[in-house]
Amino acid sequence: MKPGVYEIPLGTPMMDLLNKWCGGLRPGRKLKAIIPGGSSVPVMTPAEVEQANMDYESINKVAGSYLGSGGFIVMDDTTDMVDALTNLLRFYAHESCGQCTPCREGSAWMYNILCRLRDGLATEDDLVALRDLADNIHSRTICFFGASAAMPVQSFVTKFRDEFVARVESARAGLPAGLAVAK
Amino acid sequence: MPLVKVNGIAVEVPPGTNMIEAAKKVGVEIPHYCYHPHLSVAGNCRMCLVDVEAGGRGPDIACNMAATEGLAIRTDTPKVTQMRKSVMEFLLVNHPLDCPICDQSGECRLQDYYMEYGQHDSRLADAKMGKGKRQDIGDQIVLDAERCVQCSRCVRFSDEVTGTGELRLFNRSNQTQIGIFPGVRLSHQYQGNLADICPVGALTLKDFRFKKRVWWLKESESVCGGCATGCNTLVHHQDNEVYRFTPRRNDEVNKSWICDQGRLSYKDVTSLKRLTGAKVNGQRAELPEAANAAAMLLKGAKVGVVFGAKATTEANWAAVKLVRARLPSARAYVIEGNDPDAFTYQDEILVDSDKTPNRFGAALTASQLGSVGDAEALKAALAAGEIDALLVLQDDVIGRLGIAAPKALVYVGTFKNATATAAAVVLPAAHSIEQAGTWINRQGRVQRLRKTVAPAGDSVADYSAVDAIGRAFGGAVIPEMPAAIFQELAAGVKALNGLTLKGLGHGGQLITLSAPSAGADQPGQAAPAK
Ligand code: SF4
Ligand code: SF4
Ligand code: SF4
Ligand code: FES
Repeated sequence: MKPGVYEIPLGTPMMDLLNKWCGGLRPGRKLKAIIPGGSSVPVMTPAEVEQANMDYESINKVAGSYLGSGGFIVMDDTTDMVDALTNLLRFYAHESCGQCTPCREGSAWMYNILCRLRDGLATEDDLVALRDLADNIHSRTICFFGASAAMPVQSFVTKFRDEFVARVESARAGLPAGLAVAK
Repeated sequence: MPLVKVNGIAVEVPPGTNMIEAAKKVGVEIPHYCYHPHLSVAGNCRMCLVDVEAGGRGPDIACNMAATEGLAIRTDTPKVTQMRKSVMEFLLVNHPLDCPICDQSGECRLQDYYMEYGQHDSRLADAKMGKGKRQDIGDQIVLDAERCVQCSRCVRFSDEVTGTGELRLFNRSNQTQIGIFPGVRLSHQYQGNLADICPVGALTLKDFRFKKRVWWLKESESVCGGCATGCNTLVHHQDNEVYRFTPRRNDEVNKSWICDQGRLSYKDVTSLKRLTGAKVNGQRAELPEAANAAAMLLKGAKVGVVFGAKATTEANWAAVKLVRARLPSARAYVIEGNDPDAFTYQDEILVDSDKTPNRFGAALTASQLGSVGDAEALKAALAAGEIDALLVLQDDVIGRLGIAAPKALVYVGTFKNATATAAAVVLPAAHSIEQAGTWINRQGRVQRLRKTVAPAGDSVADYSAVDAIGRAFGGAVIPEMPAAIFQELAAGVKALNGLTLKGLGHGGQLITLSAPSAGADQPGQAAPAK
């Protein structure tokens, strides 16, 4: 890790940013995901990261995501994506100004579902609802906060679907939270 | 005017017209909670989301969309259907579904829109947010925060209409809760409107709570008689019993509001202060008998007629006709001011200082008889013995002027008062919601009254009571049907020329009232510019 302030040109390959400028992942860890713009934009998979350059067009073309605030969140293979998303939504549910209906009710509802998912209490239907709710918030609110809460959900449950399904399956099998059904 | 399209139907509307209103023009209903035609736009409920075909980017909210040339929206796409359904789902997540014990039931937008646009299976597995129920927040209003859909209509009403600002949406996220500032109570005169504009059962009127399921009620159009403003109202009734008054929209008169005094005045209809039977010298009598007694008293007497600013224009007209036919030497009086029992509150919003609904109607008709005397003139004439008999229409002259009643006093009125007590003959007049007729409000707007329920007891339309005296003299002085009376009235009074009862429509017709010096049929005062 190389803390510091650097100025690098737009268009720098994302992998360069990660490995060359930031010093790469901790030893022995594998890249799992990067959220390129704060937390409010669609998450990127390692395959997407490998193809993308650090500019607006490339990130959008490769991963349907955005540079947003430009703050990167890098997650390695020790990160549980369900836990990570739950954590993000805790923020959004708390931070919604509560003015307009979809965001006010939807962000908290998504957070509730994620908590149950995390705790091994959710069902297949909850997973469907989660994705639905995010779609029903996106672009239907007064300000962009609603979309910001929706995009992580939409991308996490699509790009890391297996992890979400695994939680539902372990819940159905009656396994304690966090234990997966053996394949 | 810009041409816009709603579901492919073209319509021309004034520039800037809100697209909810534009759609209404072509018969397309766009569901909405937060939008209200007489409040600012908040855009928070998201129920009015529509697709934009041209002239903007969609989906977007219709309530915040101003008509511009070429704007085209659609409400009939699967996307719009899905959006509405979703908003309904979000709104119901934390809703208690109290319908069986909720007074809004039957006129609730959550219920109505759920049937029309919602209809989803519940996917809710988490506990609902509990919020404060049954909060006593004002003289007239109870708040149930759980039922609130956070539309902010009540907040905007308090900020923009009354300017009192007691209400707010507190906290944020799904903890957002409607409430009143600590230590504050609603105390303004327009509280009932909060219950009207609240699209759900969060704000309910104390007076109406648990009284009646609204689907049993019939609504009839009327006008409030509480003051000279003449707010348009709806009378809600069942089986001849009145349960409430609510405002009827008239953008030129009262927008969508009425004051609490007017709202609660429905209680007067059945109040013990009603005159429900004719009386002769304090004894109950049949109406024709009392009318005979009245005719006997007035015949050959030196009669003064006090025209009534609370009576219908028709009753005042009947008095004109009676004088012309039978009492040619009678003098006409119109007394300014209010009855002693009138409420004293007034403001710049709606409530006028003049608590009579038909000051202009009384003045216009009285002036048909030539010069019209005022209170001083009446007192002087009585004192000098120039008049020794009075026919009084809906006016507590005795109570107001503190004068001794002449022996020959005939009173036509709806309520008991000093004049009724002192009168030798009382003819009971129907309440304004029990009879047809017209009133002319402070703007000079002729507005229509309708018979919404049957008159109490033996009371009859005030013009019929006057006509009964005419009949006792030997012949009717006015036609029987309200439309025919009005026709005669409109032909006889210059300011009303050309009007018909039907032509008054739902919102009334403005007449021009010129300055007192200009002619014989002037009300003695020009219409204020309000
Ligand atoms: S989307 Fe905007 S308006 Fe709605 S709660 Fe969020 S921040 Fe507020
Ligand atoms: S507000 Fe409407 S939906 Fe809610 S309890 Fe009352 S009637 Fe039912
Ligand atoms: S109390 Fe009624 S009017 Fe006020 S915000 Fe809630 S739903 Fe809207
Ligand atoms: S009516 Fe348009 S957002 Fe509420």
